[in-house]
Amino acid sequence: MKNENNSPKPPERVKHDYPGKLIVIEGTDGVGRSTQTELLKNWLAVEGYGVTVTGWKSSELISNVIEKAKSKNALNTITFSLLYATDLADRLNSIIVPALKAGLMVICDRYYYTAFARDVVRGADPQWVRKLYGFAVEPDLVFYLKMPLDPLLRRIITTRGSLDFYESGRDIGMSTDLYQSFKLYQSQIMFEYEQMMAEYPFVVVPADETPDKIQRCLRQHVGKLLDRTTNPEAVLIS
Amino acid sequence: MRLYKKHDFPGKLFVVEGVDGSGKSTQLDLLRNWLESKGESVIFTEWNSSNLISKTIKQAKRSNTLIPVTFSILHATDFADRLENIIIPALKAGLYVLADRYCFTAFARDVARGVDKEWVRNLYGFSIRPDGAFYFQVPVEVSLGRINNMRTPGFYESGMDMGISTDPRESFRIFQTNIINEYDQMVDEFGFHVMPATKTIHEQQMLFRKKVTELIESSN
Repeated sequence: MKNENNSPKPPERVKHDYPGKLIVIEGTDGVGRSTQTELLKNWLAVEGYGVTVTGWKSSELISNVIEKAKSKNALNTITFSLLYATDLADRLNSIIVPALKAGLMVICDRYYYTAFARDVVRGADPQWVRKLYGFAVEPDLVFYLKMPLDPLLRRIITTRGSLDFYESGRDIGMSTDLYQSFKLYQSQIMFEYEQMMAEYPFVVVPADETPDKIQRCLRQHVGKLLDRTTNPEAVLIS
Repeated sequence: MRLYKKHDFPGKLFVVEGVDGSGKSTQLDLLRNWLESKGESVIFTEWNSSNLISKTIKQAKRSNTLIPVTFSILHATDFADRLENIIIPALKAGLYVLADRYCFTAFARDVARGVDKEWVRNLYGFSIRPDGAFYFQVPVEVSLGRINNMRTPGFYESGMDMGISTDPRESFRIFQTNIINEYDQMVDEFGFHVMPATKTIHEQQMLFRKKVTELIESSN
């Protein structure tokens, strides 16, 4: 059958055995994921590794549908969840798995953990969402960029100049005060990530450090991951 | 999961299921006319018809690039959108909702495509349990004959994406057989009312109306 790539097998996840590596960068809005992704990508290229970067809701198939629906504020929780799942399923098939098979380093700016946080805050059943993403390859390394709420809020407001409807959870009617709604929503998202720290092997990176310091930390962990694959002896010795 | 619980909306939800060419759409259409002639308000909805996503699905089908999982979630998205925007509001308003295909179509087709059975049931766990699910049971040969008389089966419809056979007709036969097997297994699992789709249209319709009447009366 053709779907050997990512046929969904619900509860227990299996490590992939492709020659490439899947690195995920997670964290709430505004923690600096894209900056770090870009720096990591450049470094890996300089080190001589082929790199593919893929961002959340960027598939050709579905990203414009998501944008259109969001602009009309017309989505309910389940439809929202399913659209994002479709987006990842499509990118897995067209970008991520082919790249892993070709031995590339794949950096995902957000992965299913984003859905686990957002959908659950929007009222989806945690188990339902986790099973939904049962088709997705398990990452080799997951960075969680973690930042306290107050600096995060200041940062988002200063960098973007205004608050986004969905980033503020206004679609779930948290508060008519946009700032309060935003604060409440982001703190709930953060709470979900904190819960996941116990559930998944996140590498927690303090994101209120300088970009350079954060990047050094990421490179250290990625370096370890690569040594293990290029030189298996290193594992035995240590 | 909602799918496994009886809903408590004032409206009634009846769905028809079965392979292509089983005559279910004809029967549902007749039932709709009959209910309307009795003065009932009826809302009709069919598979893959949401404003949000049905066009995307049709485009993707034409490009023949979808893998079963993506296909599966796309259809669930279409269904979720219709459930929230059409089906649930109508049920809340106390109307009759008639659905030409429901989540059971996905359970049959996606599993026949090799998607995990339990995964796809979880996927559609948000569905409202119908007040009556009517399965139009038809032998493969009859279904094949009806389809072939009218048109050539499509790429996905004949399971060509699974590479079962390079011959579209042979592929269609095998794929439809697998779908029928999945439907047959769901009869007990979801309490389908089995409709003998080999009887005449009139006989089936009389039986359909009788069962629907019984279901409405027993719930009042």
